[in-house]
Amino acid sequence: MSKHRPIVVFGILGTLLDRGKAGEDRWQKWRPSVAICQHEDLLITRFELFHEPKELPLAQGVIADIQSISPETDVRLHELHLRDPWDFEEVFGSFHDFSGKYPFATDDEDYLIHITTGTHVEQICLFLLAESRHLPGRLLQSSPPRRHNVDPGGYKIIDLDLSRYDALAKRFFTERQEGLVFLKSGIATRNAAFNTLIERIERVAIASTAPLLLTGPTGAGKSHLARRIYDLKRRREQVGGSFVEVNCATLRGDQAMSALFGHIKGAFTGATAPRPGLLKTANGGLLFLDEIGELGLDEQAMLLRAIEEHRFFPVGADHEVESNFQLIAGTNRDLQSGVATGKFREDLLARINLWTFRLPGLAERREDVAPNLDYELERHVSSTGRKVTMNQQAREAFLKFAESPTTPWSANFRDLGAAVTRMATMASGGRITVAEVDEEIARLNSSWRRQHAQQPDLLSEVLSAEQLASLDLFDQVQLAEVVRVCRQSANLSAAGRTLFASSRANKAQPNDADRLRKYLTRFGLNWAQICPER
Amino acid sequence: MSDMISIDGSQGEGGGQIVRSSLALAMITGRGVSIDKLRAGRTKPGLMRQHLTAVRAAAEISGAEITGDSIGSTSLTFRPCQVTPGEYTFSVGTAGSATLVLQTVLPALLVADGPSRLILEGGTHNPWAPPFDFLSKSYLPIVNRMGPKVSTFLERPGFYPAGGGRFVVEIEPTRQLNRLSLLQRGSLNQRTGRILLSNLPEQIADREAKELLRLTGWERDRISTEQVAAQGPGNIVVLELEYDAVTEVFTGVGEHGVRAETVSRRAVDAMRKYLAVDVPVGEYLADQLLLLMGISAWQRGEESTIRTTALTRHSSTQIDVLRQCLGVTTHVTRLGEHNTVEVSVKRQ
Repeated sequence: MSKHRPIVVFGILGTLLDRGKAGEDRWQKWRPSVAICQHEDLLITRFELFHEPKELPLAQGVIADIQSISPETDVRLHELHLRDPWDFEEVFGSFHDFSGKYPFATDDEDYLIHITTGTHVEQICLFLLAESRHLPGRLLQSSPPRRHNVDPGGYKIIDLDLSRYDALAKRFFTERQEGLVFLKSGIATRNAAFNTLIERIERVAIASTAPLLLTGPTGAGKSHLARRIYDLKRRREQVGGSFVEVNCATLRGDQAMSALFGHIKGAFTGATAPRPGLLKTANGGLLFLDEIGELGLDEQAMLLRAIEEHRFFPVGADHEVESNFQLIAGTNRDLQSGVATGKFREDLLARINLWTFRLPGLAERREDVAPNLDYELERHVSSTGRKVTMNQQAREAFLKFAESPTTPWSANFRDLGAAVTRMATMASGGRITVAEVDEEIARLNSSWRRQHAQQPDLLSEVLSAEQLASLDLFDQVQLAEVVRVCRQSANLSAAGRTLFASSRANKAQPNDADRLRKYLTRFGLNWAQICPER
Repeated sequence: MSDMISIDGSQGEGGGQIVRSSLALAMITGRGVSIDKLRAGRTKPGLMRQHLTAVRAAAEISGAEITGDSIGSTSLTFRPCQVTPGEYTFSVGTAGSATLVLQTVLPALLVADGPSRLILEGGTHNPWAPPFDFLSKSYLPIVNRMGPKVSTFLERPGFYPAGGGRFVVEIEPTRQLNRLSLLQRGSLNQRTGRILLSNLPEQIADREAKELLRLTGWERDRISTEQVAAQGPGNIVVLELEYDAVTEVFTGVGEHGVRAETVSRRAVDAMRKYLAVDVPVGEYLADQLLLLMGISAWQRGEESTIRTTALTRHSSTQIDVLRQCLGVTTHVTRLGEHNTVEVSVKRQ
């Protein structure tokens, strides 16, 4: 009946630190991967050691030394194929892949992630994966002995899940990142409507554990905002569990049930091990179901019960399991019309749209392009470690284009983020110039044109097939663009301003809204038919 | 649970020795022990890896049921079944002393049903435990005098920090341990100094030899130097005094940042302390012999007596554990000289 949980350490072979000095003198020097196995009060059962292929001889030497000072430890080597161990994306991707494939047994083993060796980028990636629980372990930080000593030095185990750590983290996050500004990721937005919206979300998020529904066009930042709400609640110690995010469009068929609600061992062919499911994983935390309109009806029924009673049946189980989570749902579809066509349960909609917030697209917040441009530039810097700036001319040229009412921004902030990434990557010497901006504008325009060409669908959403067949192509093209602009605009007047931007400048009393209304009436359409979700 | 002996792990010296001795005696009597407040006063309380290795080694040879055998655990129960002699390999991490693991399992195997062959791996010459030379020259010859036939040889020394040492112990057991009487040293037959050096410049040994000669005034051919093949660097100075009745071993262990001369002087200082009195048993040896004397008294009811330099806290802890586990009594009589004492152990 003796119970001891084996400790498993993940670490990177330090090409410099673990080499120490040549020959037997290596024992005089602190080598983190060896020293961590030398502590009297830390018994490591398994050591998963990452190394570059060319460092295999060093890795084997380190294994031999660990065997000598820690016969209890089973060292396993994992080759890291990195072209550049300082490349954030590459390193993160490869550890992320590893964490996805590694057979973690958190019920039986304790995991420690040794972040003392490896490049800084590798250490940061391990930290991030530990924080996001992709690597479900605590951090292990070791330090060298005092000068002239040959003892193994010290070590510390840091549990990112402890509220103690949250308190620590809080000290480093300035006021700026608290509350409202926090939800906006520190972006000083100017759009009054958006600022009001964020204020309301913050009040609701802090005061309520009821479901929230975030609507808005794709790329408006629903997923990002859900993550920020979770972070905010966590910072206020309102949630203790994890942030679990899934796009319901990726859950199809039989797998959907088991992915969401889990299954027991043997529930179906291939269910060789039990699976807790996303709802259980989110216990005590926050579950973000993006594109909830894509969820099947059976799943919707189970979800409703899970929200209302915090209980549900995993696939194949006789007993219900409990999970208490806050739900945030996201959608870019009109759920009400889903109810009308029987594709979405009315009772579920009623339950989740207690608090509905519509995130405006970038086209409706053109005054926020500039602060978001700065934010994306900063984000690029912190994710790649490469400083990138934009010269004055380039910035003016880009903003002129971005703020122009004719620029569609059809994928919203996703388009803006991608544009900045591309410009920053193309910029030689870390400076974005007019040349890169011009190139990017051309690239964006051509990508939107391509989407356009595929857009008669838009019309079939508002017109019957009969009506559509009676329209000339000439009219179809124009009407499609008008509908697209309307859907990106807050109201009829805003859409009118965009559509008649050039001619209105010459008028003393512009009446864009009226012109637009009349135009729509010609096709038997009105605002509500085009933009039903508002 | 009621038939288990409760041991307060914080009594006396309060370290790993209580664990080793309690387990050794539990395997002799077959009665379980439950130890709490293990290493309570230490900076890192509870069981450390070297203790855990000893606990698991004891469980392996005796088929014991154990609870609390994890790092940092401050209470341990150990319920031995049948001691099974045979071939075992025990490996100690952190260059921890393999001799300490041997001390835990040896007593039970001395009186087991058949012969054993043990391979011990880990540290053999580290600063915190009796070195292998103490085992082979000082301790085992006296063990053999009590009945069993134990031999050992060192395949490879293991120094701190690299470890990797290895020695073999072969045991021909006896049914019951004979009584021991060790009151006089007898005449001095031999005195030698050995310097072991591994992966370090020869010059260190030269300086140590020079200092030994200066301090002891011995003839030059008494001192020898051996280059040994160990993992990593290592150095130790071993002085041996071989008398008719006993051999005592004194060591200085080379450490990073400690001068060669200081290593020699530490060994000489220890030897001088022993030479200043006229009793046969030094303090480390006394600790280990007390255990065997207790077993002999418990098995045969015969009284064993030794004369030793002052009783250390280790020795008095050992005496307490003997009383609790075996019910034997220990008499300590002060002799005239310095703090020397005569210690006898008998059945109550």
